[in-house]
Amino acid sequence: MIVFLIRRFFGLIFVLFAVTFLTFLIGHAAPGDPIQIILGFHYDPATYHRLRHFYGLDQPLLQQYVQYVWYIIRYWNFGYSYQYGGRPVATILGTALPVTFTIGLSALALAVVIGVPVGVYAATKRNQTGDRLSMAAMLVLYSVPSFVLIPLVVGVDIWLSQHRYPSLPVANWGTVQQAVLPILVLSAGTIAYIARLTRTTMVGMLREDFIRTARAKGLTRRRIVLGHALRPALLPVVTFLGPAIAGLVTGTFVVENIFNLPGVGFAAVQSIESRDYPVVQGATIVVAVIVVLMNLLADILYRVLDPRIQE
Amino acid sequence: MSAIESAPEASGPDFGNAPAGRSRRRLIWLAFAGNRAALVGLGGLVVLIVAAIVGPMVYTQSAAAADIFSLNPDSWPAPSHLLGTDKDGIDILARLLTGLRVSLGVALFVELLNVLIGVPIGLAAGYFGGPIDFALSRIADALFAFPGLLLAILVAGVFGQGLGDTWGGLGRLALVTASLALVSWPLMARYVRAEVLSLRERDYVEAARAIGASTPRIMLIHIAPNVVGLVLTASTLDMASQVVNEATLSLLGLGVQPPHASIGLMISNAIGVLNINWTESFFPGLALTMMVLCFSFVGDGLRDALDPRSLR
Repeated sequence: MIVFLIRRFFGLIFVLFAVTFLTFLIGHAAPGDPIQIILGFHYDPATYHRLRHFYGLDQPLLQQYVQYVWYIIRYWNFGYSYQYGGRPVATILGTALPVTFTIGLSALALAVVIGVPVGVYAATKRNQTGDRLSMAAMLVLYSVPSFVLIPLVVGVDIWLSQHRYPSLPVANWGTVQQAVLPILVLSAGTIAYIARLTRTTMVGMLREDFIRTARAKGLTRRRIVLGHALRPALLPVVTFLGPAIAGLVTGTFVVENIFNLPGVGFAAVQSIESRDYPVVQGATIVVAVIVVLMNLLADILYRVLDPRIQE
Repeated sequence: MSAIESAPEASGPDFGNAPAGRSRRRLIWLAFAGNRAALVGLGGLVVLIVAAIVGPMVYTQSAAAADIFSLNPDSWPAPSHLLGTDKDGIDILARLLTGLRVSLGVALFVELLNVLIGVPIGLAAGYFGGPIDFALSRIADALFAFPGLLLAILVAGVFGQGLGDTWGGLGRLALVTASLALVSWPLMARYVRAEVLSLRERDYVEAARAIGASTPRIMLIHIAPNVVGLVLTASTLDMASQVVNEATLSLLGLGVQPPHASIGLMISNAIGVLNINWTESFFPGLALTMMVLCFSFVGDGLRDALDPRSLR
């Protein structure tokens, strides 16, 4: 475990370097002079040089990078936006992150809470109608991209509201009701994957010798499934949490932009359109680092849950 | 990513197992044709590809401009506009057909790039190991550190801003293709590397080496042909994801720009008028889902058919 943690720590350092450096390079390779874009028709040389200095763009590239990373680590300072009169990027991210976190983590939790029971149910009804139906539904749910699902779900919701049935708000952020549809749509693909994964491993697990032993002891089916088979069958699901989080990130970009949620994905896409590269850089780095850390956490959790894994 | 448990299985060379009178190719086809989902997928793909190529020539409504003599936004399917019109009064079927071209074209070119970049690098890394392998793994780690499409979003977004309408929108498409390939070739390289690691230890490779075959000859004649099945399967399965990825970029406004058509763009425009006409988002969504399912079915069929264990 110690060796594993040390090795993962060095891997983490490399990945963090790669993410920050690549993002920084892309932000700075962007076509056009950002200061001229800010100034537009108000261009005058003195202001131009003052702003260049303010954003640190008059320094050598490598020095800018080192300073950028150092300021993030030391002061949690991601530089200043090119828009909004130079608001600190950290402030913009600070208001956006909680939104993304809320919908992302709720979607992940929902995916586990729905996906695992569906998978277990299908495995216990293997090759019966219940299994076939639920797995076919999951295959469809998995294959349909979120932005195809959104019009369907929102369309039904609009129909409900037009016919004066209870319905949910379809845009903006602030109330619990407004979060329901985005979270549902975001979690759909992950629910389906987790359900299918759980079914596969559960079916394998129910064939194991220790299950036969448990059955021979006369335990109830319920105890066998929930008490003996479920825990080892969940290990692959834990392994999948890492990739699931990565997939949810792209999902939040789509969902936030369609439902107008003021999260990181929304901020990032808006900033790309207004060429506000410091915000784009900051958003990319924060999101990537969070995902990297969560991956590490899932890896450690996996090892804690399965003591058989040794170096 | 494209289908459940989709990592292509190792398919090694398989000599002398074919019953008399049946070539390996024929056995593969029989295995593929015995899979109903794969056949349906193949049929669906043929229909979609023909529609994408021939469709815009046959169906002559404009995909970029409204019919100014009968301006009719958000209209329902009717004989004049078979799938109705969008909020700008532009024919949806015409846009859908050009959108299919974009989806299929981008997916195809992304896979071409993946094969051109990923396969040679995977071959070299797997065969030589050592520093080449180390360098490949680090580059792949660096690119994989970005979750999902994040790096592609960044590249397509940042460089797309200065691109405008270069080459009548083709510049944007090339950028989308390049940024999607950038984040997906390492996976291809990893598959090939893993396969080559096992292939290079086989007896027949040892034998080739013993009779004095040169390294390029062993790699090209003895090893490369045996990863073709893997590459074909992985590419087909990956195309399902690339179709969605292109639509995602366009939906976020980072890919194809109006007035050019893309399925992602159509859906993002149609969601705003969902309360007026739901068919506007339904048909592009259906087409996209069909593409995803067809590529997944064909990919799954290829995987099962090319797996040598199922040939016995």
